[in-house]
Amino acid sequence: MATRRPVLVVAVAAAALALAAGIYFGRSTFGLGGTEGGGRDAAALLGVTLPDTSGKDQTLAQWRGKVLVVNFWATWCAPCREEMPEFVRAQAEMGSRGLQFVGIAIDSADKVRPFVEEIGLNYPSLIGGYGAMELSKALGNRLMALPFTVVVDRHGAIVHTQLGPLRDAQLRSILSQLL
Amino acid sequence: MDSLPTSTGSAPKRRAAEARDGPAPAPWSPPGRADRPIGVGARTCAGVSPRWVALAFASASVFLTLWRPAPAVAQLKLLEPERAFAFAARGLDDRTVEARFVVADGYYLYRDKLRFSVDGAALAVVPPLPAGKVKNDEFFGKVETYRGMLLVKLPLEAAAPGRSLTVRAESQGCADAGVCYPPQVQQVTIALPAAGGKPGLPVEAAPEKKRWFN
Repeated sequence: MATRRPVLVVAVAAAALALAAGIYFGRSTFGLGGTEGGGRDAAALLGVTLPDTSGKDQTLAQWRGKVLVVNFWATWCAPCREEMPEFVRAQAEMGSRGLQFVGIAIDSADKVRPFVEEIGLNYPSLIGGYGAMELSKALGNRLMALPFTVVVDRHGAIVHTQLGPLRDAQLRSILSQLL
Repeated sequence: MDSLPTSTGSAPKRRAAEARDGPAPAPWSPPGRADRPIGVGARTCAGVSPRWVALAFASASVFLTLWRPAPAVAQLKLLEPERAFAFAARGLDDRTVEARFVVADGYYLYRDKLRFSVDGAALAVVPPLPAGKVKNDEFFGKVETYRGMLLVKLPLEAAAPGRSLTVRAESQGCADAGVCYPPQVQQVTIALPAAGGKPGLPVEAAPEKKRWFN
């Protein structure tokens, strides 16, 4: 009988530790990568109005009916800047087939303008403050990290969200089913 | 940027008490029952020994820990920014605060985005930051980054023995996995040592333990 108690104590301790670890790690880490949008309605996103780099208000609803790729980015985010030339190429190639990229920069216009010129951005980048970060959070970017990209089909349904870089092959595979 | 997320350090008093007495006993430990071994004669109505109940509970817990619903696409895991960049501070002496960042493996902070301030006390100088690892950025040119542990001394303009101070850090960093976090403000409240006193214990701005069970 004397040996039973240590077994019980060890078992309970192990269980508690495992449970705590499960809750701990379950809560403190978040997925990086892509998630299928499951056809969620992009109304909240399409209803957004933000200024462009010249200060003129632009509403995302003007691109309704196109395949829309909304990319949340910032000049202070190196991985964001690295993937943007790839978006420029895709826009040039597939724009005539109904593809529209739109950037939402979590940044100030005076930082965005020189970068946009430098890489020859061929799609609009709107200027969003911290409020735009909250918007990305509502779309699934729980960590509010960048880059975060949302793909919306012609019917206004979210088909893909991506935290972290969207690789060229993956982007093209998603777009090929929508264009 | 209109406003920044802020995380606040915990009550230093509770931390100090924990450091002294150890963590509070777990709620499931049976206090004052050492003379009554749990296994003896304590059969449940189903006739199952508590030992097996415990083992079953342990296995169930391990299962729950390891089991995750499969995501639609394979995903890597990312830390919350306040865990990736854990901020702490302590009083070194009656006129010096030591700020500390512990940067998790696979993450880095930008040197030129770091700002420290102390509420209610002026800093004697702009805190000298150690040299970081130089990284060539296509757009910004040479930038310096920190990995691992970073210690920065914040010298106050005037001695303030025993004073309670709020130390604030603004930082911005990224993960090697290919994401960056927005600038983040973290703060902790510490007490400076008395004149000639020993340095204080670091107070961490990391999320509170109680958040595990929220």
